[in-house]
Amino acid sequence: MTDSENFPASPGEIEPAQPSAPCSGGPTRRGLIQGAAGIAAAGVVLARPNIVRAASETPVKVGFIEDESGNLSIYGIQKLHAARLAVQEINDGYTLAGGPVGSGCLGTMGLYSPTPPTLTSGPGAKLNIINDGGTPSEHAIVTADTEEILIPSGEKGLLGRPVDLVSSDGQSNNTLWQQLARRMIQQDKVDVLVAGFASAEREAIRPIVDQRKQLYFYTNQYEGGVADGYTFCTGAVCEQQVIPVMQYMVEKFGPKIFTIAANYNFGQLTAAWVRSFAPVLKAKVIGEEFPPLEVSEFSSVIAKVQAAKPDWVMTLLVGQNQSNYYPQAAAAGLHLPMASTVNMAQGYEHKRFTPPSLANMHNAVNYMQEIPTKRNQDFVARFYKMFPNDPYLGQMAQNTYFTIHLYAKAVRLIGTTDQEKVRRTLEAGWAIEAPEGTVFLEPATHHASHYIRLAATDEKQQISFVREWPMIEAWWLQRLGVNLVRHPEHKQYTPQEDPFFKMFG
Amino acid sequence: MSGSERIPLSRREGGSKVLPELASILYQFGTNAAFLLLSALGLIVILGMMNIINLAHGEFMMLGAYVASFAVHRGIPFPLAVILAFFATGAFGIVLERLVIRRFYGRELGALVTTWGISLILAQGALLLFGPYMPPIPIPGGAVSEGVFSFSVYWLILIGISIVLVVALTLVYRATPFGLQARATMQNPSIARSLGIRTGRVYMLTFGLGAGLAGLSGALLAPATSIAPFMGQQFVAPAFITVVVGGGANVIAGAVGSSTFLSLIETPVSLTLGTFYGTMALLVMALLIIRVLPAGISSLGARLRPAVAR
Repeated sequence: MTDSENFPASPGEIEPAQPSAPCSGGPTRRGLIQGAAGIAAAGVVLARPNIVRAASETPVKVGFIEDESGNLSIYGIQKLHAARLAVQEINDGYTLAGGPVGSGCLGTMGLYSPTPPTLTSGPGAKLNIINDGGTPSEHAIVTADTEEILIPSGEKGLLGRPVDLVSSDGQSNNTLWQQLARRMIQQDKVDVLVAGFASAEREAIRPIVDQRKQLYFYTNQYEGGVADGYTFCTGAVCEQQVIPVMQYMVEKFGPKIFTIAANYNFGQLTAAWVRSFAPVLKAKVIGEEFPPLEVSEFSSVIAKVQAAKPDWVMTLLVGQNQSNYYPQAAAAGLHLPMASTVNMAQGYEHKRFTPPSLANMHNAVNYMQEIPTKRNQDFVARFYKMFPNDPYLGQMAQNTYFTIHLYAKAVRLIGTTDQEKVRRTLEAGWAIEAPEGTVFLEPATHHASHYIRLAATDEKQQISFVREWPMIEAWWLQRLGVNLVRHPEHKQYTPQEDPFFKMFG
Repeated sequence: MSGSERIPLSRREGGSKVLPELASILYQFGTNAAFLLLSALGLIVILGMMNIINLAHGEFMMLGAYVASFAVHRGIPFPLAVILAFFATGAFGIVLERLVIRRFYGRELGALVTTWGISLILAQGALLLFGPYMPPIPIPGGAVSEGVFSFSVYWLILIGISIVLVVALTLVYRATPFGLQARATMQNPSIARSLGIRTGRVYMLTFGLGAGLAGLSGALLAPATSIAPFMGQQFVAPAFITVVVGGGANVIAGAVGSSTFLSLIETPVSLTLGTFYGTMALLVMALLIIRVLPAGISSLGARLRPAVAR
């Protein structure tokens, strides 16, 4: 990325463009809000051109830490590249459609509301919409998804300033993560911090974030439960992924489950979700294994699974070493159906391992690059145009992408990068049109609803989406009564603190 | 499970339940031991014999896996690719020895820091040059089953190969002129030199052999792992534990002894309490052995037969 791409050509070019540019859509509610935001920004520009000129020298700093090297780099590089794409688009004058819709007013955010859905069927059908999570019927109802989600923002950059991605390599090392977070907050004085792959990394830097009152986005899929006034979690959590995939697996393959999970907070807590929801589905976890992250030879785990004879296996394996489980299990003749909340969508194991290592794997994901919708295929094309040599564009890369756009929209609306004000603005109840579909950032819990699709592989490890849930809310913290707007807190809840988890089991 | 009855590697439902259990335990024990031994193979030579703390050991294994993956995906059969990995990594080791390592003989800590630096350069370099992963190698051979259990044929072959490699390494060091010269050089370089041995050449070849063996085991383990820049890290800890617990009195026998003993502890604990406790048991046992026998398992043999030196 060169400097000329980062900076608007000259501040003078922005001024005449401002008043008319923002209203790109029809007279929708969102369009009006965006218009208001744009006009607010324009007002600042017109009133104080000299200051803006001076300000255009100081970029808006998006602090970004991911693992570009080490055990977790296979995930970190995707996220970094997606962040670069988002920043580039903001500097080029684009934004994702969407805006504040008000807390709980989900009905107002449909992209499809201005015109009735286009109904087609047959060979031209592109997108299956299933209303109640059932399997796609033969006469699928198809809604044309042709609307462009990447729309002009009305300005190049953000509030007349260029956006800079200040990125650092966490090297898959938690101690280094803490140092980098401190440096970004204290020295670089970033306006927003977007960081974190492993839950251990997030928990390593979250106390620093809280101490400095830093606006922080965690874009990973994770085990859920973080209730922190300064943190926004835009990835999918257990209630959005574990329950849909378990429901499907129990229906299709049977009630006996064996869980293999990485032995740290993510694996342990997600396994706890599986255990507590099994009785609800009249299923049972008949065995659990928690290999440490260092383990890379799985013969005893495989033997245990074989001895237990489950109907299917829940694999929650993380990192380079643990992905060895798949070829080893396949070589040992273990061909049970598998489910996961992490594999494939993040580490693209279905592309990295030869079949049948990843055959018959199921994952309820909020994103995979294979999603066939037009808006997603456009996004995929934009990504690979910028990074032609990248091997995969996964779940958390997409989350990072829409999160940075979401931040920019909030800043544009409130007209400042003041972190406290941006945080309050983000608590207005935002819907943003992400490549996966519409994502709603719930104000009280700082978590996002997602469009969940059940991805399944065949023997050749080709992906198909066998079930869709257009919106699943991150409801668990809501049930626990978390309301960060009224009662700020800074902790992570675990399933042990929720009496519900013991009710059925 | 009478001694005369051979284990039939076929499905026998309703038969004895003890037999498959036993086969499974033996298989797990074998794979655990073979994994430790293969991880340690190159390090046996470089740490055990040359006394260089080679922190780039894992990256040598990564190089071997990369060469094998390259070769296999250009149509070369897997066994040939493994041999190619041995020679390629060996040649790389020789170049590295000439350029860098030879300046650090006798300076253990200097060599430690240097090889650490080399490991970082190699892993990060692989990431920059080849991206975050290499195309996988399909695991050769299918599976055989016994009762509810089924076993990978390739791992069974690996167990055999690791035994063959250890025997071959012993023969090289016991029964060839090079082995004699190498042992002499490692024991006392100045006397070896005065007897006309070209010690520089011996060091170079020994380091090359160690690197080559690391590459060989990297290639052999490649189908069972994901081939990626930082894959070497998973082998470094098991390799060092195996060699250090084995001890220096007789490195090869020591490594065989320690890999057998450690997997004898790890396998039953993993089986009964889980992988986490299996790994813990291995580490605790390694700690205990080093505490009780600071010179490693092989010092037991040396104590019993004081005449046998390295």
